[in-house]
Amino acid sequence: MDWIYNFPFKFPIDLKAIDDSVRAFSVKYSFFFNIITKALRNFVNIIYDVITFVPWFLVVLLVFIAGWKLVGKISKGFLYAGLLLLVGALGYWDMMNETLSIIIASVIISLLIGFPIGILVSTSDRIDDIVRPILDTMQTMPVFVYLIPALLFFGLGKAPGVIATTIYAIVPIIRLTNHGIRQIDKEVVESSLAFGSTWLQSLVKVQIPQAMPTIMTGVNQTLMMAISMVVTTSMIGVRGLGMEIINGVNKIEIGRGIISGTAIVIMAVIMDRLTQGLVKHSEVESSGE
Amino acid sequence: MVILGSKKSKLVLVFLTFTLLMSMVLSACSGGQETGRGKIVFANAQWESNMFHNAVAGRIAEEVFGYTWEEIPGSTAVMHEGLINGEIDVHMEEWTDNIPQYQPDLDAGNLQELSVNFADNYQGLYVPRYVIEGDSDRGIEASAPKLKSVKDLKDYANIFPDDEEAGMGRIYGAIPGWEVDTILQRKYKFLGLDENYVYFSPGSDAALQAAIISAYDKGEPIVAYYWEPTWLLGLYDMVLLEDEAYVDDESFKAGETELPAMNVTVAVSNKFYENEDNKDMVDFLSKYETSSELTSEALGFMQSNDADYYETAEWFLREHDELLDKWLSAEDADKMRKALD
Repeated sequence: MDWIYNFPFKFPIDLKAIDDSVRAFSVKYSFFFNIITKALRNFVNIIYDVITFVPWFLVVLLVFIAGWKLVGKISKGFLYAGLLLLVGALGYWDMMNETLSIIIASVIISLLIGFPIGILVSTSDRIDDIVRPILDTMQTMPVFVYLIPALLFFGLGKAPGVIATTIYAIVPIIRLTNHGIRQIDKEVVESSLAFGSTWLQSLVKVQIPQAMPTIMTGVNQTLMMAISMVVTTSMIGVRGLGMEIINGVNKIEIGRGIISGTAIVIMAVIMDRLTQGLVKHSEVESSGE
Repeated sequence: MVILGSKKSKLVLVFLTFTLLMSMVLSACSGGQETGRGKIVFANAQWESNMFHNAVAGRIAEEVFGYTWEEIPGSTAVMHEGLINGEIDVHMEEWTDNIPQYQPDLDAGNLQELSVNFADNYQGLYVPRYVIEGDSDRGIEASAPKLKSVKDLKDYANIFPDDEEAGMGRIYGAIPGWEVDTILQRKYKFLGLDENYVYFSPGSDAALQAAIISAYDKGEPIVAYYWEPTWLLGLYDMVLLEDEAYVDDESFKAGETELPAMNVTVAVSNKFYENEDNKDMVDFLSKYETSSELTSEALGFMQSNDADYYETAEWFLREHDELLDKWLSAEDADKMRKALD
């Protein structure tokens, strides 16, 4: 009866050989990985310098204006600016900037890579079939499974932080760009071609604008995914709000955890509402009002 | 589409019900065969020595006292909390100084400390041996031949460069949230290392291990916090940097002296302790004592023979037969010996 409940056979996989080959690979090509690491780190540092160059009251003012104009109510502008002031008052302004620089770097890289891939995927069902399981894997593979090899290749800190965040956050922009373009009425595309536009013209002037609301939703989701990685990346040495949370949680300092967690929530809410405001704007534009 | 009521779907339904019933009957049967005294839940704080000691104590609980046992994995803090609220019965390795809550909880009677598992462990800042002595086999030259103590690090910042901040050295610190992390940061300021070093928080044990292994594989210098007994320090040849001798708790907590060996205790939850049925198990755990050396030996065996914790525990109990006499009554020790044969 044993074989009914216990799986009867097992492949002898040499796990140690995999370990060894990954490690040998990281040593052999360390020169190559160092270049990527340096580039990523510089990228994050530039963003950090830009963010910290802007004085805090200007940032608050910008959020106020953006909240007012994008969401459409002046009360929202006051609310977001007030929340942001709260983050500063909790003493987390610098940490927020550090965290933001990683998030923004990851989102920019995600969009730069993900948007073209999304368009490419939308053009062919076969590519879609190939890419979809890859995206599924990227979203469901437990982060630490690829984080540890990433640490061997890229060291600890900002570079692997950006890579891990990008792997996770790039998925929605690809999916929703693809989806947005696919859902456009065939007749609209056909008529644009019938009027003599080339494929590229049709793509840039008709398809992408039509798909814009969906694509902007993708941008919003990518941003949210990036924010959700904050604590995970601090487990590989990224400083900022995530590290503060780990510090609090590991010591069972519940208060510290709640306060720093709140700061992340505020950051996420503001960025979510502002980008959703962008989605609404693009909806208005694409419907031709 | 399956239309309910069609012949085919009825057949499927009957088949499903049958399998479900069968499996229920079967599982009821196998459930009935379980005898003994219930289950002990061990804390698994996810490092090797902890899992090894769980296997040793679990094996004895199983063979001698007739328990079944399982482990719940989680972080240090979560495991400690679990012990206090009784979801975890036994913690084989409470690293007392690393858990700020430990002493207050013990004083308040929130848990029961039964014995000191081992107290001869080391922790502190380590560098690979090749940094000091070089390694002719691997063609590595000693990059800091005169480096001996933590204080000396001041002169070697350029050997351990931080790649995020130019011109600074990098010290890989302890896991955030551990008490020793705070102490190390004080030490770093106390010795003035903050002038030319970055205290880099690795964020987690896994990340710290990866940093050390990666540097070691490449033959690069690294200075990092770590502790013994661990397989990492069993497998990699690292040197603990010296520090001022331990004077008292106050100066060590201020970061002025070395980190003394820490009491790693066996603790049980109040719920487990107060239950009269567990008296013999509590007695055994009260006598449970090993050492850092013994633990390292077992972890080394495990690593080099590719054994699991269970096999390692068996090997260990056979190899160190004398421990059984120390831990158990003569009768129980014999029972265990028979089980091992």
